[in-house]
Parts: sequence; C-alpha cells; structure tokens
Amino acid sequence: MSELDVSLGLLAALVGCGAVLGLDAASWPQVMVSRPIVAATLGGALLGDAASGFLVGAVLELLGLGHAPYGAAVYPETGPAGLLAGAGLAAGGGAAIGPFLVAVASGWAIGWIGAISVRMQRSLNERLLAAGDLAAPTKRLERRHRIAMVLDALRAGTLTAAFAIPVMWVVRLAAGIPTIGGVVAASALLVVGMGLAGGAGAGGMRRRAMDPLLFLAGGAIALTLIVTWW
Amino acid sequence: MKPTRSDQVSSFLRCFAVQGSWNYRSLVAGGLANAMLPLLRRIYAGNPVRLRAAVERHLEPFNGHPYLCPMAVTALARLEHDGESPEQIDRFRSVLRAPLGAVGDELVWATWRPFCLLLSITIFWLWGRPWAAVGIFFFFYNIGHVWLRVWSFRRGWTEGLGVGKDLRDPPWARVLPSIKSLNLLLIGSAVVSVSGLVAPDTLNRWGVIVALTVAALLGYARPALGERLAASLVLAAPVVLALLGA
Repeated sequence: MSELDVSLGLLAALVGCGAVLGLDAASWPQVMVSRPIVAATLGGALLGDAASGFLVGAVLELLGLGHAPYGAAVYPETGPAGLLAGAGLAAGGGAAIGPFLVAVASGWAIGWIGAISVRMQRSLNERLLAAGDLAAPTKRLERRHRIAMVLDALRAGTLTAAFAIPVMWVVRLAAGIPTIGGVVAASALLVVGMGLAGGAGAGGMRRRAMDPLLFLAGGAIALTLIVTWW
Repeated sequence: MKPTRSDQVSSFLRCFAVQGSWNYRSLVAGGLANAMLPLLRRIYAGNPVRLRAAVERHLEPFNGHPYLCPMAVTALARLEHDGESPEQIDRFRSVLRAPLGAVGDELVWATWRPFCLLLSITIFWLWGRPWAAVGIFFFFYNIGHVWLRVWSFRRGWTEGLGVGKDLRDPPWARVLPSIKSLNLLLIGSAVVSVSGLVAPDTLNRWGVIVALTVAALLGYARPALGERLAASLVLAAPVVLALLGA
C-alpha cells in the first residue's frame, strides 16, 4: 500500500459515516444526507478537501438523476459510494482529470454493488418478517423492524469498510500518471458532459415541447458565464 | 378510545422509519404497521383480539411514497377508530396505495429533490463554497420533506376516507409545473458548469466550449447513449490510466 497512510481512526470514521449514510437512503430518516453531493463532500472533508468531494458528488448526482426509487425500482446506493469517491479523490490529491475519472468510476461501481447488497438485505427482511406471529405480541413486530434497520446500517458499514482502502489506493495510483493530451482530454470531457446530460435528462423531466428550449437556455447561460469569467 | 397527543407524536416519529423493514413480499407494510402501533394500541386498549386482527390486517402488502405514508397511517387508524368494517378498511387500503405512490414520486423524486440538488450544484459553481451549497440543499429539501410528512399525517386523521380529494388536487399542484421548468433550466446549466469545472488544463478554451456544447446537445438528444458512453468511460478509465502509466 505504497504512500497511502490511512489511520485506524480515519477508517473508523469512514465506516461509521458509511453506515449512517446507508441507513438514511431508505430505512431512516431519509433526510437525504445519503445524496452524493453531501456524502462526497463529507468524504472529501474527512481527508481535507471538501471542494473536490463536492465536485465528484455533483458528477455522480447528475449521472444518477434519472435513477430514482420509484416503487420497487433498483437504483444505485449513493451514500457509501459518494463518501468513498469523495474521500478517494481527496486522498489522490484533488480534481485532475485522471484521478477524477477514477473517483467517479469507483463511486458509480460501488453504487451499483451497493444496490445488490440492498436487494439481499430486502430479501432478508422478507424472511425476518415472515417468521413467527408478528401481531401477538405486537412488541415482536417492533423488535423485528428495529433489527432490520440495524442490519441495514451494518450492511452499509461493511460495504464502506470493504472498499475504503481499495478506492483511495486506485485513485492515488491514477494521480501519479502523466498529464493526458488535448484530444484525449476533449474526448473525456465530451463523454462526461454527454453522460451528465443523458443521466439528468433521463429522469422523466423531458415531457413538454418547451423542455428542450429550457435545457438549451440553461446551458447557454452557463457557457456565457464561463466565457465572461475567462 | 381516541389516540392521545403523545400517541400521535410517537406514531409520527415512527413514520420516519416507515421503510426500515422494506421487503419484496409485503413492501412497506412492516413499517406501516409499526408506525400505526401507538395509535392502534390506544384505539383497541383492553381488547387484544381486535388489536391483533388490526395489526395482521396492516401487515398485508402495502406500498406508497415514504413521505406520504403518514397519510395512510393516520387515515387507516381513523377508520379503525370510527369502527369501519374490516372489508371497508381493506378496500380503502388497496385504493390508497397507487395514488400515494404516484403523487409522492412525482412531487418528491421527480421534482423537489432534483430542484434542491440542482440549486445546490449551481450555488457551488457560482460561489465555490462546498459546505454552504450542501447546507442550502439540506435546509431547503428538508423544509419541504418535513412539511409534507406533517401535512399528510394531519390530513389523514382529519379526512379519513376523504383523503382522495387531497391526493387528486394537492396544494402543490399549481407550482409543480414551474419547478419542473426551472429544473430543465438548471440541468442545462449544471451539465455545462460541472463539466467545465472538471475540464483539464491541457485543453484550450475553444476545445472546452466545443466539447461542452456538443456534449450537452448530444446528451440531451440521446440520453440513453450518453449515459452508456459515460458509464463505459468511467469504468474503463482505471484500466486506460493504468496502461498509460505502465
């Protein structure tokens, strides 16, 4: 684990945060601290770079805007994923394009691995609630409900513990790679931008005739401000 | 017996954990019954047989948006309190399920949450302060979130069987299209600004402008393709970078 110096305290803080963020997504209390912009900023801040954390969180947020928890839909688990992507990028030394893409990749992948763990947890809940008579005494229902939530937090904490060091290690590895050339950089930017527009646009928000015009107007305003600030 | 203020507070707080035991058979029913328990215990005080029957009834499959589930909790408890027949309660329960999900999904997941997130991203871009942007998201989002839970909890108890009209014509119906329009504007802006923030130094200004413009247009026109390409790129990035570094 060359150059990577992760204290036990930091690892414990990450695992604790991962458990709380994982619990927030669906089980309790759903105040949305599990969103990537919050989780990744927290992850970045734990390693001393909240701004880089927010940026990687914003990209994960836009990529996943179309994946909402409608009904029984499967969607990426954003809490531990955002936390580790933000922490990884901060550990890798900030938002250069190489480490940045690797941090986004890690967050995206952990989000979907997290989704599998959520499915497993929900199948376990099914068995937990099916066993025995829950209505008599009624305290049994309360106990099983609490157990399900504790298991959810343990699941998210375990997911965070499993990926914390690998993510920081792989992002730091990417930071050591020489700067990439203009054409590769432009292609990367093009695809990231397309992905953001695609991920965000797929969220069921493109229904009316004026929607494309509003989207283009927003893009044009941002582009004008970027050019003005140069 | 009518539930007391403290039963209602206890039930309301349990609504925050309504999805705590979500599963593929009964969906949100475990959480729903758990949140109803303080109310049912009071309503059926001294009658364990009817309490047991009511809990069993509400452990049957149910789903709904978590922030609107408080409406189901109190409306169903109201029916139990008013002595409606089990058949009537079951019918009402199954009718309530679809609109509670659809109305909540449309309001929260498709409109309010994206709006607050996009606002936060825009503030970060303009101001550059990550914690201020996170704080603004958390504050505004949860004002709407907690208000919705309180509103639905109260309406469920006061309206009982009549909650249907609240769901057909909710108080936010008129502002929702405006927020959706704002969301489109903010998405356009966020796609360009966030991509611009990660633009590498090796790229000249015209390169950035052309890449961002083409990306936004193509991504909007072909969202599925954009998403797949981006997912492929981010997943291939570690391998490509490892090869470049080797």
